[in-house]
Amino acid sequence: MSRLAPEGAVASVAESEFTLASRRRRRFTRHRLGHIAAPYALLAPAAAVIGVILAYPMYQLVRMSFQKYGLFELIRHKGRWIGTANYASIFNDAEFWRVVLRTVAFTAVCVSLTMVAGTAIALLLLQVSRVVRIALTTGLVLVWSMPVIVAVDIWRWMVDYEFGVANWTLTKLHVGNFVRHDWFANPWTGFGVFTLLIVWGAIPFVAITVYAGLAQVPQELLEAAEIDGARPWAVFREVTLPLLKPIFVILTSLSIIWDFQVFQQIWVMLDARPTSDYYTMAIYAFHQSFQISEYGLGAAIAVVMVLFMFAATLVYLRQMLKAGEVH
Amino acid sequence: MKARYLVVALLAAMVAVAASAASGGTNRAQAGKIVVWLQNDAQNGWPEAVALANRNFKAQHPDVDVDVQYQSWGTHLTKFDAALAGGDAPDVIELGNSEMSKYMAAGAFKRLTQSPFPNNKTWLTGLKVSCQYNGKLYGVPYYAGARAVIYRKDQYAKAGIKSTPKSLSQFVADGKKLMKTYGKDSGYSAVYFPGKYWYAAMSFVYDYGGQIAVQKGGKWKGTLNSPQAIQALNQVKTVFKSLTRASRTTDEANPQQALVFAKGKVGSFIGNGWEWPYALDAKLGNPALAPVIGAYPMPSHIKGRFMPTFLGGSDLAIPVTTKNQSLAADWIKAFTGNAAESEIAKAGNIANTTKLLAYNASNPKLAPFARAAKYSWFVPTSPNWANVENGNVLQNMLVSIATGRASVKAAANSASKQITRILNTGA
Repeated sequence: MSRLAPEGAVASVAESEFTLASRRRRRFTRHRLGHIAAPYALLAPAAAVIGVILAYPMYQLVRMSFQKYGLFELIRHKGRWIGTANYASIFNDAEFWRVVLRTVAFTAVCVSLTMVAGTAIALLLLQVSRVVRIALTTGLVLVWSMPVIVAVDIWRWMVDYEFGVANWTLTKLHVGNFVRHDWFANPWTGFGVFTLLIVWGAIPFVAITVYAGLAQVPQELLEAAEIDGARPWAVFREVTLPLLKPIFVILTSLSIIWDFQVFQQIWVMLDARPTSDYYTMAIYAFHQSFQISEYGLGAAIAVVMVLFMFAATLVYLRQMLKAGEVH
Repeated sequence: MKARYLVVALLAAMVAVAASAASGGTNRAQAGKIVVWLQNDAQNGWPEAVALANRNFKAQHPDVDVDVQYQSWGTHLTKFDAALAGGDAPDVIELGNSEMSKYMAAGAFKRLTQSPFPNNKTWLTGLKVSCQYNGKLYGVPYYAGARAVIYRKDQYAKAGIKSTPKSLSQFVADGKKLMKTYGKDSGYSAVYFPGKYWYAAMSFVYDYGGQIAVQKGGKWKGTLNSPQAIQALNQVKTVFKSLTRASRTTDEANPQQALVFAKGKVGSFIGNGWEWPYALDAKLGNPALAPVIGAYPMPSHIKGRFMPTFLGGSDLAIPVTTKNQSLAADWIKAFTGNAAESEIAKAGNIANTTKLLAYNASNPKLAPFARAAKYSWFVPTSPNWANVENGNVLQNMLVSIATGRASVKAAANSASKQITRILNTGA
């Protein structure tokens, strides 16, 4: 160190002239200072990254949500302050509340299905042979690694109005006449397709993470429960589930965040022109911003959306902190 | 300890939330290059006109390159907004004539002097009007288009249709004959009419004397729920129900209707002049259809008259952000001169000048569209109109009608209310 830093070497020569006691005291304070500063220094890079990619855009978004920011303002790079008028406008908009309700319901369905199916597959992975497990895991990883746009294009072909393989298969299986069936003519079946697409894409992450968690459950606890006469469902509910609770909480919060802001899947599948029955909050915000050129309104919707998600995760955060205290 | 990990995980999650962003163009103007945004119709329909303009421009400015970037109608305004915000908009942009007023009103374009541009005394009036705001010029007319019925002569003959229909009721009756002859094939449409095809549907409305909106005392009012409009929309519903098997939730460009027609299971469709040659395209279409393809103006509900067609078209403008205004103007001059405009007309459009109209009338492939163009309608001239288009208001209404999600009356009422609100915003 001293070879690399000549100033340090000079300093240590100067130091030798101090008495032993003062040197000891200096060392002590220096050590303490380092002890206090080190965590902050270690946190600094992460804080800087978060500041650049999260805090600044958030600041701009919140700022814009209190401004009249249309095309006129966009060209001049300057918004006009209008207080909470944007918020008043969206809260009085019946369409907005329909969109909120639709988004919440859609998220609830997607997250529940993802968690249940993901956990079921994780449990299955524990039971099957090595070969099957590797095949299954490979499949899951392939799905997980597929870019969203590619996945949407594949699904789009499967449910294509004219050439969809889903239509062909269902017709061949005599489920009904699905020749030239338009899945998106009815928003219920349309959202059915989107639910399948989202859940399909989200299962791998949940399944693999829960599987990793299951592998950590002490075998003796499970055996003890079985010896005590617990049936498999009871073992899962009374032993496995409580042990894996932290994992489930994190997975559920992440899934809520991901599914609540679904955008590309609907946008790409419906040729970037979804009818209003397919608006989710993310699409509605985009629509207000980029299609109607009301960027202030769009920003207000986005802010409300972030608050919704923050509230959802806060509930879990509190629950977790409580759980942490007990342990 | 666990709680601390959770906080980290949540922070990571919040970062993920912020990751959705819109992409914009990155075309910072440099000396030695100008960037031109044209719609992909030029790429598909009249690439020769673009090449010609570039050659002429290059002869004038040997050290300046032209970077033509093709855009699609669905997303070009979004990209343009993002580029304006980022300060790197193109030097020349094509806009649909119904999209111009929103951007002119917001001050997005450089003001132009009319005299240097070719044929500026004989520009088509309809297009010239769309380039003006408060009496000032902000754009240069590029081309106009009119729609007519493009049809299969052989199928009409086999279905026993002796001459092209002269009234709307005849058109529907002929369509039913086609369905009888070919309709056993579940993929066949007598008229390919996708659910979101609002340009064609609104022609019905204007034919019956309806309008999308009217202006009274400075206020706009959506009028798609007028008795005339409702009557017209019921006719559109008949076409959806009995003459077409096109998807009720797609538009005329996804998939391209001319290419669907080229596949052979379509008797007719309402298309622009350029869609005729596009259907015969050697790579994408079917050149074998050349002897059996024809066109006629869409007939009105009044016998012997034509249904008004949307006077579509495009203009070229120079965004305020450009640093190369005179180069941009020179490129526009090269692209709207007689040579390039003749190429554009040859591809099935109506050139920007009345001087070249004879060209269309004398060509059997263009004449039906030129005749159709005599009766036309245009969208309400409000700066907010583009928001009605981009807000999918008309598409939402038509999809509701086509799929039976709402009655014609309920769908029209809801659309009218939205149109009234959007057109009066900020007024």
